[in-house]
Amino acid sequence: MKNEIKTSLGGKTIALLAQSIINGLITGSIYALVASGYSLIYSTNNFMHFAHGISVVAAGYMVYWLFSLVGIPFYVTCIITVILSAIFGLAMYRLIYLPLQKKGASNVILLIASIGILTFFQNVIQIAFGSGVKLVGYIEVSKGITFAGVTMTLLQIVILIISLIIFILLYQFMQKTKTGRNMRAVSNNSELASIVGINHIRISDISFLIGSALAGVAGILVALEQNLSPFMGTNLMIKGFTGAVIGGINYVPGSIVGSFLLGMAENLGILVLPSGYKDAIAFSMLFLFLLFKPNGILGKKEGRFDK
Amino acid sequence: MIISAYQTHIFILIFIYIILAVSLNLALGYTGLLNLGHVAFFGIGAYTSALLAIEGLPYIAAVIIAGLFASVFGYLLVKATDKLKGDYMAMATLGFSFVVYSLLLNLRDITRGAMGIPGIPKPSILGLTIRTNDQYLIFVMAVCAISVFIMYRMVNSPFGKLLEANRDNAVNLRVLGKNTFALKYKAMMTSAFFAGVSGSLYAHYITFIDPTSFYIAELILILTIVIVGGLASIKGSIVATIVIIYVPEMLKMLELPASVLGPVRQALYAMILIAILMIRPRGIFGKVDLE
Repeated sequence: MKNEIKTSLGGKTIALLAQSIINGLITGSIYALVASGYSLIYSTNNFMHFAHGISVVAAGYMVYWLFSLVGIPFYVTCIITVILSAIFGLAMYRLIYLPLQKKGASNVILLIASIGILTFFQNVIQIAFGSGVKLVGYIEVSKGITFAGVTMTLLQIVILIISLIIFILLYQFMQKTKTGRNMRAVSNNSELASIVGINHIRISDISFLIGSALAGVAGILVALEQNLSPFMGTNLMIKGFTGAVIGGINYVPGSIVGSFLLGMAENLGILVLPSGYKDAIAFSMLFLFLLFKPNGILGKKEGRFDK
Repeated sequence: MIISAYQTHIFILIFIYIILAVSLNLALGYTGLLNLGHVAFFGIGAYTSALLAIEGLPYIAAVIIAGLFASVFGYLLVKATDKLKGDYMAMATLGFSFVVYSLLLNLRDITRGAMGIPGIPKPSILGLTIRTNDQYLIFVMAVCAISVFIMYRMVNSPFGKLLEANRDNAVNLRVLGKNTFALKYKAMMTSAFFAGVSGSLYAHYITFIDPTSFYIAELILILTIVIVGGLASIKGSIVATIVIIYVPEMLKMLELPASVLGPVRQALYAMILIAILMIRPRGIFGKVDLE
């Protein structure tokens, strides 16, 4: 494939590859924000919270509503959005998942319920805001900074820096705080964790709060970078989920790495395929990883196979 | 005619969805295959049949090839996901429907991508062309009756008992020397075949298809039908199809603007799905839980 690019594009190859990798990092950082929250929730609860995608979209629309329509200052909007996202996630856990779990519902039931939640709120958003795309436009997108043949907009640099800061904070939290250690304990061995007195429901509450707050941050960045539309949640969720599966769904740092890899694979892939294939690349990677490497490249070796 | 044109339309949809729901129940309810990719078979059937008919193939050939083509994918899906457990199997089959969706969207030379395929011809059987919706209603009724009858005979046969045994305790069945993989792929291929047939009926009735008809919204609809009706109950799926297709039609009485009618209906389906899972996860006539 590399040879093909070289023959068709000659000397520009390196710059083009570099640009694709940079674009991949930026796309990847949004996927990674979605994936990290998702896999934080997965690792402590052990079920697939597919409705995580709607937390991202709801946050995006919250920014549009509070900042663009109501006129609340941008930074205040961001704080409100992240707090409301966290509460929204907790509400999903407490009002839907926990009652289902108490009735002994299987993981598949929880997964189907979460697809139902995702669909429900996507349609509610469409009823409330209409199907047309919405623009927030707080930071000018058009201005680009070119360095060594690679162009980045100010917004893209901001996205990359903010997500890196958040990943470092998240890592510190998981490693250094007592709550973070308890969460890792539950994710490693929930039975043992409950024997030593860790309250599983409290840990689940916290994982939904933090995971959904991360979705809120992702939603803010998505609202700044892309046009908002009600049904973007499904796609974002699949991408975040794919990133998580590639890196290791039950291991947060793995899912972050996986998401960056996915972003780069998509952007390098469309050098040789038509740009419409971006989603097809991601979906195929998801399917192949689920089949052949369901623990991902960095995930813990737990039995994902039925033996 | 005794019934109005609008009711004819609803009845046609009901018969198409009965085939789709009963075929999903065959895999999900009777055999315990956690297949969230059933919409993909529906879509594969619809596209195959539409494209072949446009190429001039007789309808009978188009619909049978559509079913067979879908069942080939059914075999491959079971083969690929056989060793995955519970929710991973569900996610992988869901992933399969995403792959099919994005291929329908991107293989533009074949599927025309997002533009969809217009002008799908109405079926013509043994020289008789179906022109009116009343005729189409009789036609789908007949196909539905035959399909449901075949699946009904299948689940009530000794083979059907083996399928249920595989769902309830696959290990014991293997101890008895049964090839559970063969059971699973036979059930999935039959399920996919009839999903393909219903896709064909759908495509030739609406006469226009595009990839969005075979995605999450549609998946929610058939999952809702099968779970509301109850797993491992053909009667349940039939009753639930009628209820689930009919109930949202009452929304028309609220005289909502046309732009919100679609989303309101979708939100209602999703709400019914969550509610039934929380209140009565076995559905109306269900015999087993979703494990």
